[in-house]
Amino acid sequence: MSSGGLQLENISRRLGARSLLHEISLEVPAGECLALLGPSGCGKTTTLRVVAGLDPVSSGRIWLQGRDITRLDPGRRQVGMVFQSYALYPHLSVEGNLELGLEIRRVTAAERHRRISTILELLQLVELRHRRPAQLSGGQRQRVALARALLRQPDIVLLDEPMSNLDAQLRDNLRPELRRLLCGGRHPVLYVTHDQQEAMGIADRIAVMSNGFIQQLGTARDLYDQPVNRFVAEFLGRPAINLLLPQQGHQLGLRPEHIRSVNTGGLEAKLTGREWLGNQQLLNLETKRGQLKMLTSADWTPPTELRVSWDQGRELWFEEQSGERLK
Amino acid sequence: MNFISHFQGQPFATNKVESYSRGKSLSLLLLAPALALLAIVFVWPLLRYGWLSFHADSVITGLVAIPNGGANWIRLLSDGRFWQDALQTLRFAGVSVGLELVLGLALALALHQRGPGRGVLRVLCLLPWALPTTVMALGWRWIFNDPHGPINALLLQLGLPSQGFLSTPSTTWLVSVLADVWKTTPFVALLLLAGLQSIPTDLEEAMRLEGASPWQRLRRLTLPLLIPYLGLCCLFRVAQAMGVFDLIQVLTDGGPAGSTESLALYAYLNAMRFLDFGYSASVMLGMFLLLLVLSALVLVVQRRFQQQQELT
Amino acid sequence: MNLRRPIIVAGLLLWSLLPLIWQLQTSFRTPDALVGGSLTSGWTLENYRTVLQGSPSFWRYMVNSALVGTATTGLTLSLAVPAAYGLRQQAATLKRGLLLLLVAAAVFPYVLLFLALLELARQLGWGNQLLALAIPYSGLSLPLAVLLLQAGIADLPNEIEDAARLEGLNLWQRLHRIVLPLLAPTLSSTAILVFLFSWNEYPIALTWISRSELLTLPTAMARIAGSSIYAVPYGAFAAATVLGSLPLLLLVLLFQRAIVSGLTQGAVKG
Repeated sequence: MSSGGLQLENISRRLGARSLLHEISLEVPAGECLALLGPSGCGKTTTLRVVAGLDPVSSGRIWLQGRDITRLDPGRRQVGMVFQSYALYPHLSVEGNLELGLEIRRVTAAERHRRISTILELLQLVELRHRRPAQLSGGQRQRVALARALLRQPDIVLLDEPMSNLDAQLRDNLRPELRRLLCGGRHPVLYVTHDQQEAMGIADRIAVMSNGFIQQLGTARDLYDQPVNRFVAEFLGRPAINLLLPQQGHQLGLRPEHIRSVNTGGLEAKLTGREWLGNQQLLNLETKRGQLKMLTSADWTPPTELRVSWDQGRELWFEEQSGERLK
Repeated sequence: MNFISHFQGQPFATNKVESYSRGKSLSLLLLAPALALLAIVFVWPLLRYGWLSFHADSVITGLVAIPNGGANWIRLLSDGRFWQDALQTLRFAGVSVGLELVLGLALALALHQRGPGRGVLRVLCLLPWALPTTVMALGWRWIFNDPHGPINALLLQLGLPSQGFLSTPSTTWLVSVLADVWKTTPFVALLLLAGLQSIPTDLEEAMRLEGASPWQRLRRLTLPLLIPYLGLCCLFRVAQAMGVFDLIQVLTDGGPAGSTESLALYAYLNAMRFLDFGYSASVMLGMFLLLLVLSALVLVVQRRFQQQQELT
Repeated sequence: MNLRRPIIVAGLLLWSLLPLIWQLQTSFRTPDALVGGSLTSGWTLENYRTVLQGSPSFWRYMVNSALVGTATTGLTLSLAVPAAYGLRQQAATLKRGLLLLLVAAAVFPYVLLFLALLELARQLGWGNQLLALAIPYSGLSLPLAVLLLQAGIADLPNEIEDAARLEGLNLWQRLHRIVLPLLAPTLSSTAILVFLFSWNEYPIALTWISRSELLTLPTAMARIAGSSIYAVPYGAFAAATVLGSLPLLLLVLLFQRAIVSGLTQGAVKG
């Protein structure tokens, strides 16, 4: 195996008759941040827990920095993890939370102190060092959880929906900060989220998952422009892609921003509603091939009856039954 | 610059492989000591009684166990004292538990309003339950003493004759029920209050908006949601009241004329006074079987109520 | 509506306290005053002197009960905590079965067990050994203790333990450094309930202990009563009642919140 980074080789996890993960294979080189994106129950958190060693695999192998860690105890894997709830020890101060793991690993007191003060400074937690988790805000808790994960010089950092307990504005501010702290180091990063905006903002590459399968793995751009199937096309993009009524076993997908109003040709459409989005507006249209959403500039006043077409070359065709995209 | 460079150090590389199943067997090991003690205290006695009940083991046999077939069991079936005690115990349990549940529920409903003095109320509810039964049993004996107890003193003041409360079967029985109800009602109320507090207030508010009267809210919302609590309380109290021993032994010692003797006291007397261990074991097993039937009955009734609520 | 609560509180006050207050006043009266004296005369501390200077002194019983209670509480918790923690790791069906058995054992009227336990004590020479009582007492309190503790443990978020596993804490370290500190409230309410049970237990102490200097409080009281229905020295007895109730009153006053939360948790999760 190549050294460095994380490799998953045909990882499956079954629980009774249920298959939670199905032959997952992926590779994350050191310094890269890969987001696992998908709806709840798709297997993204299970993948993370399997890498951490918190859940066992049924088959397959996991390699980390050149070591086979498939059956290694979680405490010996050198994994730093930020949990969705942050999982800070409620009875310990910020400092105590950071110190416990080092103490267990028999790091000397002087070395513990040095490492803890460095990371407290880096994450601007110095003033909060004596507080208990209950006395911290959501954002502060997240920073402590991050400090705890990074403190032990992990071979990989795992994050499980680290933003889901924060309010929207804080999330927007934290995204570049998190990327600066996490990515580009000597370790790979796996980032689980159900929020595509977050995945796009933080990760270098994204793996879209559903039902225990990886549907597609690539950069955000690839996934958006070249989705392999209807699921990926629908899951990425807000407002969502328009899927027209199928014809002869084929289905046409059009993104709202690619629809244009035209004078002749195209489809006849009737305006049924308008949503004002501030910088843009979203038009709800009724055509004989189904409902359409169209994104236009905010100051255009559309007529109630119009004709629409789309940017040539941007349309996506799917096979009606399987949902596979036709090239 | 990435901050990880601050922390350049050797990772704790080790390739020791630990299997996942180790955690499972280790956790069974954690359970083992407790399960062993539970087996000695709860399972062994029942097995031992099963064995003893088919042996004669008394002063007559010189306290040596001799197999006697089903003689103990045949004796039990035709033992008038056993069946009389069974009836008396059932009557005691039925009336006390019934009173405790009804009064406890009423008290819990009354206390289920926000207000000052919650701590005081809690103490008041806990105190009778926390005191040793034997201590209060003696206290009741003094209170109903003839003629010097306060109740009789009151009767005399009113110009009425004093009553031998503890020398007449009917009133002795009433005193034993009163002592049990006194001790347990506030406690039952406390448990039911916890059940009431687990009902989300918006359910009550939603019903209020629909114009339901307090009685309708109680019948259609509160009681159905309380059924699991009532069922558990009932099961626990019935089992405890069927096993009543401390109270009866100290308050009346089964008297007068055996009219308040409970099954547990009869089993105790067989073993400790008549020194007939084989028969005592049969009495206790007989009582155990009775208890199983009763518990099953309580559970069936509770399930029936619950299903009824789910259907409507 | 607003008047209802004070009336109920007053009613409860009378109901719960009147019999106790009667004991309290009895304990300060001379024997003559008890058989029809007036309230203005016949007050005395003599009853307390009799009880405390008796042979053995009443203190002895309180100390005995406190010793047994402490030993029982310690033994029960040291068995129940690992068991409750081990229960969490078991497969769902096994766990459910064990929990049902524990509920059945907790509800079981334990007086039925006394004969077999007495035989055991005779065989092992545990009769008239004060601290040996802690063994059956622990066994009898275990069901409730394990139920309460496992409910408390089930309330702890899984992710906190996962985080500790990732940091390399082994089973013992997790129990000792994470689970126990977080369980402190449940531990204290469980400890109090076990202590209360042990303090009040009667049939087993009655059959295991016969030497008067080893009696626990409930058995000592019952022995006073055993003499005769008419000749019970009520004044002295009431003084004993008051003394024997004081530690419990203190426990209930100090830990009422913990006791109620323990009891209700048992009811809700059981």
